[in-house]
Amino acid sequence: MKEHYLTKRSFFPKFVTWTTIVFFYIPLLVVAVNSFNRSKGGGVWKGFTFQWYAQLFSDTRIWEALRNTLVIASFATVIATVLGTLCAFALHRYRSRLQKTHYMLVYLPLIVPDILRGISMLLLFVLLFAWINPILRRTVGIRINLGITTIIIAHITFCLSYVAMVVLGRLQDFDFSLYEAALDLGANKFQAFSKVVIPAIMPGILAGALLSFTLSLDDYVITFFVAGKGSLTLPIYIYGSMKHGNPAVINALSVILLIVTFITVYIAQKLLEDKK
Amino acid sequence: MKQLSLSLLVFLALLFSGCGGRPALYIYNWGDYVSPEVIRKFEKEYNCRVVLDFFDSNESMYAKLKAGGGGYDLIVPSTYMTDMMYDQKMLRELDRSRLPNLKYIDPDYLKKVRDSEMKYSVPYLVSFTGIGYNKNKVRNFEPSWRMFEREDIRGRCVLLNDPRQVIGAALITLGYDPNTRNEEEIGKAADLVIQWRRNIAKFDVDEAKRSLISGEFWLIQTYSGDMLQALDENENIEFAFPKEGCIFTADTFVIPADAVNVDLAYDFINFMHRPEIAAENMQFVKFRCPNTEALKMLPEKLKNKPSINPTKAQWDAAMPTLDLGADTRLYNAAWDRIKSGSAD
Repeated sequence: MKEHYLTKRSFFPKFVTWTTIVFFYIPLLVVAVNSFNRSKGGGVWKGFTFQWYAQLFSDTRIWEALRNTLVIASFATVIATVLGTLCAFALHRYRSRLQKTHYMLVYLPLIVPDILRGISMLLLFVLLFAWINPILRRTVGIRINLGITTIIIAHITFCLSYVAMVVLGRLQDFDFSLYEAALDLGANKFQAFSKVVIPAIMPGILAGALLSFTLSLDDYVITFFVAGKGSLTLPIYIYGSMKHGNPAVINALSVILLIVTFITVYIAQKLLEDKK
Repeated sequence: MKQLSLSLLVFLALLFSGCGGRPALYIYNWGDYVSPEVIRKFEKEYNCRVVLDFFDSNESMYAKLKAGGGGYDLIVPSTYMTDMMYDQKMLRELDRSRLPNLKYIDPDYLKKVRDSEMKYSVPYLVSFTGIGYNKNKVRNFEPSWRMFEREDIRGRCVLLNDPRQVIGAALITLGYDPNTRNEEEIGKAADLVIQWRRNIAKFDVDEAKRSLISGEFWLIQTYSGDMLQALDENENIEFAFPKEGCIFTADTFVIPADAVNVDLAYDFINFMHRPEIAAENMQFVKFRCPNTEALKMLPEKLKNKPSINPTKAQWDAAMPTLDLGADTRLYNAAWDRIKSGSAD
């Protein structure tokens, strides 16, 4: 009879689940519906149209922004995932007095406000360029500027922290006697790490990577500051269009982004399931 | 693997170096604030590339430039920011001989702004803050800021969420200067806004516009250009200049001190004030360009709109907001009092 008690259908969890779903997805639904609304402002329904999608597809600047955004997110994710995983491993495996500082340094970016990091990154880059550009000019004859690369570097710095924290959580559940057993059985450290530890913490790494990708995709504040001239990303485009822009085109763009995001998440979920 | 790292190297090299070819003009502007067709014409005529980057507020643009993240050839800040940037030596002084089309600029506009000789800035577009309302819903409309006291539209009106605009409107209503530094006057204006606050639904910018179109709100404090766009959606919407006067904001073309392609920047400013180009651009953005010849070339439909062509009385009663430096805190303090709800 205890079993029956456990499986009894309760109203409350169902209610909470459905309210959550409604609050999460109704706004997205409104955006999706409005992207087909002839009314620009979206206050009233004025008939079905594809014109915003047509306008979206003819605006080359949006596609450039989308391309930049995806390039940045991909690079930032790959590099941050590798560095973050290594960082988590080091944090978990090695103990020394400096580790506490190390942990704090990795953890800090999660709580420092974006605006502060954006401005300080920009100041750092500007300082660095002021110092390095005269040397470059004399030797190679080029100069470097703010651009997509600086955005990637800035994104790596905050994505790294997220990856490290997620992977660290996974490592704490990992039984390191397996790693030691691998060493005993003749694997070298690298083999033990790549063949035993990595597969075991793979779900954590993938989760961290996914998190990085989405964080990088929609970061506005930090990107705004470290972006160079001409390196437009989607969030900058969207915020810039707030005052005078056409909200309907942004709606259409959001729908496409949503579809891409859902597909990405779906694939990631499938991958995670296969791993189990 | 080798191939991958090689392509990575090429990619990074491409990222760091700019692309060659036609010269590029880098413009830092508000999003969707210039007609893409006009940009295309400029690119063709001057055989160049125009690269537009966007900012969402004067303040964030200033912060970024101040920290060294600039390199733009042309920027489009609002007048108060323009004046501040000039004072901080961030702008280049303009060579008038390279801008022959400035002869079309409306002298009445220039009288009202600090840079009346266009020493460091050229006006681009002007918008007015007035009252947008639904003429089917609001009975006995009067063009006055006092509308926000009217009992019959209680809960159906919205003020902007902007201290200078809202307190400015109250100052104008009381007959004071909207740029006053007099604490007593600001205090009286704040009292008036607190009185209005009991009558309004909320302080808001974007949502209010949409709710006016949908009919949820009937009367809002708003920008003229926005109402012209809203008219396409709901033909019952009207924009009115309050009889007491109103605030106008203008965005200006400026060339920053660290601009690279100064020649193209001059060409662009001059091009944008060619009357037929200015008129074409106005039809896209729906804000008033203070270019007297261009205003004459507009189609009748747009020409008759008061927000594009205000009457002399309306224009005379319009005032800009100026940068008040440290005294801005007087407005922020009054705003805190308004918002904190010591209404009763």
